[in-house]
Amino acid sequence: MINRRKFIKTGGIAAAATALSIHSLDAIANGGMKQLTILHTNDVHSRIEPFPMDGSRNQGLGGVARRSALIKKIRAEQPNVLLLDAGDIFQGTPYFNLYGGELEIKLMSDMGYDAATMGNHDFDNGVEGFYKQLPHANFPILVSNYDFSDTIMHQSTKPFKIFNKGGLKIGVFGIGIELKGLVGEKNYGNTIYQDPVLKANEVAGLLKNEHKCDLIICLSHLGYKYSDNKVSDQTLAQNNEHIDLIIGGHTHTFMAKPQDVKNKAGRITTINQVGFAGINLGRIDYYFESYRGKKLLTSSPYMISDQLDS
Amino acid sequence: MQNSVQLRTVSFILGSIFLSSCSSNYQLVKSNRAEYAVTKDVAADSSIIRTYQPYKLKLDSQMNEVLGYSENELTKKIVGGESSLGNFFSDAALFEARKTDPQIDFTMPSTNGGLRNDLPLGAITLSNVFELMPFENELIVFEIKGIEVESLLNYIARTGGQPVSGLTMKIIAGKPADVMISGQSFDRTKNYHVLTSDYIAGGGDGISSFKDPISSKVLGLKIRDALIKYIKESKEKGKKISSKLDGRMTNDKS
Repeated sequence: MINRRKFIKTGGIAAAATALSIHSLDAIANGGMKQLTILHTNDVHSRIEPFPMDGSRNQGLGGVARRSALIKKIRAEQPNVLLLDAGDIFQGTPYFNLYGGELEIKLMSDMGYDAATMGNHDFDNGVEGFYKQLPHANFPILVSNYDFSDTIMHQSTKPFKIFNKGGLKIGVFGIGIELKGLVGEKNYGNTIYQDPVLKANEVAGLLKNEHKCDLIICLSHLGYKYSDNKVSDQTLAQNNEHIDLIIGGHTHTFMAKPQDVKNKAGRITTINQVGFAGINLGRIDYYFESYRGKKLLTSSPYMISDQLDS
Repeated sequence: MQNSVQLRTVSFILGSIFLSSCSSNYQLVKSNRAEYAVTKDVAADSSIIRTYQPYKLKLDSQMNEVLGYSENELTKKIVGGESSLGNFFSDAALFEARKTDPQIDFTMPSTNGGLRNDLPLGAITLSNVFELMPFENELIVFEIKGIEVESLLNYIARTGGQPVSGLTMKIIAGKPADVMISGQSFDRTKNYHVLTSDYIAGGGDGISSFKDPISSKVLGLKIRDALIKYIKESKEKGKKISSKLDGRMTNDKS
């Protein structure tokens, strides 16, 4: 039950509570809405087992078997779940050195990942090294700003995928970081990096306007924020019109909570990233109200809470 | 489950949103966020363990070999411009590489970002070294001009210090100062033999100092193998590896 006293502006992008339609409030109160649950990871870096108990900072944390148990429990409770990863699946433990990423991909398939994008370390055994593990993936690799046409991966990735979950259309696409200077040239070969902000706007526009998606999610390996003007999730959030959620990676950022950025259209683009190595699993629930063909005339913000409904 | 969810209490309303002309049938009205900490309090999914067990057994039989022992925990934490892990990493690479090429003046074998995990106090296993240095990078000695060394020193200073050995310097206002290479003051008119990795040499992390060298020599030694040799040799000599912050790089800003 929503307590109306919660509607106090506390920062971020605030607006008057009156902007919320009464209709919405009633619908929330009645629980008559569609719910979508997004679960996400980034930069898992071949961390199959928890960090060893060796006195180090992250000892005992993470582990695929625990993450899988959490995911199964949430899937049992929620009707509409999407499980997503923002790249750097590979590299970081000897599992990668010994098996080339086969186990990482197999386990993601077992856990039921719905999609992932590529990070720079996913090129560590070359484009061929990533390609070789794709037969183990039962989920798509989404990248919209790497042109692989002149590589062995020319048919291996998709720019986006639209998921239908309980009547909701969710558009998910991927954005990768510039490879030059970050990945050895022989490892990325003829992969062409394209402007991430241009590509993201192109794909998100398509998902919104052509495909009429109800929610648009970008899996980004650009990185959360930089001290110089290198393109980051901040840049992307401020310079797009249609992305609701950027699931970020690369910078291994542990965020106290998701960040809500006002985008070019004056709407909200949320950025979230959950550190690295599978130490945390992120969860964002979205609630939708059907308006049965009726177009809402008033402006319609949505309410954000850093707490799950019990 | 509830315990593992970091519940947060802040809630607020987001600003006016105008529907685009092409709207769909659903309106986003609410979003709730949470984060699950994946700790020992979460019971493991045994089917996942069964999947990785055969891989783990094979890996453990190879990776659990104890290469040597460490006197202290070696960490990435930067103090001044140096870290105990960066000092160990650079000293070990330089020591092993000089066996093949005694002419090397100094090394920057990696950037801080290339040091992927800390080394624990006590037993150091092969697995620990793989996690510290998972990449297959090789050591290469470049003879480069003083001005190229200067650009590298500027990079090191600008980025607040990087792992080095055979070199000491101060970072003052983001610029290199009092640079000593193999015990002598840096002379920009001289050529230097610098040990680095194929990653850095190829322009990794935006470093361009090795693009136009006078000469280069591939040592046929991977960085990880150099670290493994160094730790094993210490053990054979009955010594523990150790690395202290020795002030090789100071920074007036930290």
